Amino acid sequence: MKRLKRIFGSNYLALIVVTAAVMLLFFILNNNFLALDNVKNLMNAVSFTGTITVGMALLLIAGEVDLASGAEACFGGVVCAMAINAGVPWPVALIIALVFGACCGLVNAFFVNVVHIMGFICTLGIMGIYNGLIRVVTDNHPIPAYEPSFWKLGSTTLFGIFPLPFVIMITLMVVYGLILTRTNFGRTIYMIGGNRRAARLCGINPQRIITALYVNNGMLAALAGVILTARMHNASPGAASTGAIDAITAAVLGGISFLGGVGGMGGCFIGILLITVFSAGLTATGLPSYWQIVAQGAILVFALSVDFFNSKARKRRLERDEIKRRRLHFESRATENQHRETD
Amino acid sequence: MTNRLEFSDITKAFPGIKALSEVSFCAECGQITALLGENGAGKSTLLKILSGDIKADNGEVLLDGEPQNFKAPSDALSAGISVIYQERQMVSSLSVMENIFAGELPRNRFGIINYKKLKTEAQKLIDLFELPLDARMTVGRLSVAQQQMVEIMRAYRRNSDVIAFDEPTASLAEAEITILFKLIKELARQGKIVIYVSHRMAEIFRITDKIIVLKDGKFVADLKTSETDERTLVKAMVGREIGDTFSKLSRCTEQGEMILEVKNLTTKKVTGINLSLRKGEIIGLAGLVGAGRTELARAIFGADKIDSGEVLIDGKNIRYKNPSGALALGIALCPEDRKEEGLVLFRSMKENITISVLSRIRKFLFLSNSEEKRLSDRAIEKYDIKTPSINELVGELSGGNQQKVILGRATNELMSTRVLILDEPTKGIDVGSKAEIYQMICDFAKTGIGVIVISSELPEVLNISDTIYVMANGRISGVLTREEASEETVLELAMAEQ
Repeated sequence: MKRLKRIFGSNYLALIVVTAAVMLLFFILNNNFLALDNVKNLMNAVSFTGTITVGMALLLIAGEVDLASGAEACFGGVVCAMAINAGVPWPVALIIALVFGACCGLVNAFFVNVVHIMGFICTLGIMGIYNGLIRVVTDNHPIPAYEPSFWKLGSTTLFGIFPLPFVIMITLMVVYGLILTRTNFGRTIYMIGGNRRAARLCGINPQRIITALYVNNGMLAALAGVILTARMHNASPGAASTGAIDAITAAVLGGISFLGGVGGMGGCFIGILLITVFSAGLTATGLPSYWQIVAQGAILVFALSVDFFNSKARKRRLERDEIKRRRLHFESRATENQHRETD
Repeated sequence: MTNRLEFSDITKAFPGIKALSEVSFCAECGQITALLGENGAGKSTLLKILSGDIKADNGEVLLDGEPQNFKAPSDALSAGISVIYQERQMVSSLSVMENIFAGELPRNRFGIINYKKLKTEAQKLIDLFELPLDARMTVGRLSVAQQQMVEIMRAYRRNSDVIAFDEPTASLAEAEITILFKLIKELARQGKIVIYVSHRMAEIFRITDKIIVLKDGKFVADLKTSETDERTLVKAMVGREIGDTFSKLSRCTEQGEMILEVKNLTTKKVTGINLSLRKGEIIGLAGLVGAGRTELARAIFGADKIDSGEVLIDGKNIRYKNPSGALALGIALCPEDRKEEGLVLFRSMKENITISVLSRIRKFLFLSNSEEKRLSDRAIEKYDIKTPSINELVGELSGGNQQKVILGRATNELMSTRVLILDEPTKGIDVGSKAEIYQMICDFAKTGIGVIVISSELPEVLNISDTIYVMANGRISGVLTREEASEETVLELAMAEQ
């Protein structure tokens, strides 16, 4: 139990219950919802957002954010498809896309560390730049990636039920979960997210860590885009427009604070599951797609409200304790003085 | 028109300390009344009560004998009280005239601002005080001194009868001070009640008519400026009972070779600093708030940029650009603001202890759990930290225990700390823990660590340091040994004009 709590965070039980309830609800509304094919689709859908969320979660814990993740994923897919069309073998194309993603991350890190723009604002602008560039490069048409051996990256199924993209995502989550909880690097991420000035005075170089996290995030986003391209057999310019927002929603739902310093991979996984099940379920029940956009926005606002409420409650608790302690101390000194006077 | 401002039995307690106790005095119109006292004497608290920012627990502010009940700063303003703080309180993107008339801009029939009238009215004020300003200039582009003038004009325009200044000359040059003083004298000539808070002795003698001295939140003296001198004032400001806290200290008596030498160090905030520290020596940095002590510590620690000068470790000139470089050389800093700069409050005590040595407790790829536990347990044992477990959030611990966590981090065996800089190590800490911390500081010295202690409490610096460096205005204004130093000598140096 304690171990579960450590992996999934303190609100894990509520989250798991909610996720199960949502699944059950959609199962009742549509009996095909938990059919094998649909579950496979679900896992595929989870894997795209999930892969982006891994990088985003690390950034959020460090107190940063990358709103351009979705655009970076899409751009990565486009770059990969174009490389394959140019006759490059697909593994090389994959690496080119990853390097491209890393460069995107470096650009973000430059503006955050050197120009000192808030990550939230500067990646918002960069997202616009990438989305525009993608349309310039592709002329707003999907780019086909005709290479059957490449498609296998998206279509292989392990043990008959687990799609390869899903397995890749789970592996990434386990590896990054270990990095966060067990390594030096992971610990410093929490510390700079918790208090950047204190961390710097303790000998940590926050700029170096933040650069690494943006580069890592860019690569993971590009990887997600490449896998999506392999699954769809083409790279579509509008494929990942909500990628970053979904990733943030999932991470914050999963207990990672938007203010940094708190959260972990386990909660993140449930968060991703929850929002994917939710949107797939809405599709399955036949709700018009425009309303789904509304619903997704509402979940994000809800998750952020819970997050801010929690952070405030944490702060208040500390302040209350402090005042109580001081009052006790003050009173004990006052009685001490009285004793002394009467003596 | 108010002729008399009176404070009657003002008492204010904050959790743990009594900031003011039964302070009574009065200020008359047409006079400049100085409020004098060392750090923590209660001057700022008194100003805040005057401006309606905080409420006194007991006692009253009276204007012409009428008790006032300020619920918010706006109440004090409408009663004719303006307080001009060190930080400017203006809209820097608007013009001089708009700031002077903020809240009461002249309008025409349609509710639209009448800029023509605004400009002539503002210019009238500027001419009255003979200031080198243009009413249309943007406030953000003015110098600090000019901004202050605008603020004074605003107070004047509001028809304030009481105008209080909090350290108005802190960031002004001599020429600007002259203009400011002319302005303040003009206010007094017009029959305003002027309150003037400052540390600077010379200024007080230059412009004030009478002086109120506060000490530890209590009223000490009410003196006519013309009938007193510096010596009398300093004597009134200092002198308090020191318990036997310090006489019981077991000190380090042997000093070894030189470990840290600072030569001609200059940064944005400090100028031409020379300092040398031996093994086992405790240096105390004394001075008033804003004298540049924290900034000097940060520069030595690599947290602030050094413009010129050198820092020598073991006689070698080594350049490091950030705190991690300093830590690698064995220099550690325990910052003044524990919550903002010292600790990651929402992480565990264990994580806060090991944060500086993470790369040294690695086993293969992962952090070693047992090593982390060992280091944390050692700190708990060594410093007697009271915590339910090493996984307790550090923010849940008391101030004294938080300070011990920081000390435990700075001095754990993997750090090999040789120079330890402590910035206000006993701030906000109760008396019992203070004594423990003094002993710890002496114990550090005994193990051969060179310690630099910054403190605003005079008895503290005087009694734990072997050598006392006094700072004023970003410079070292004097170096004394413990035997030479007294509260009077240190305070006189701290208030020295360069």
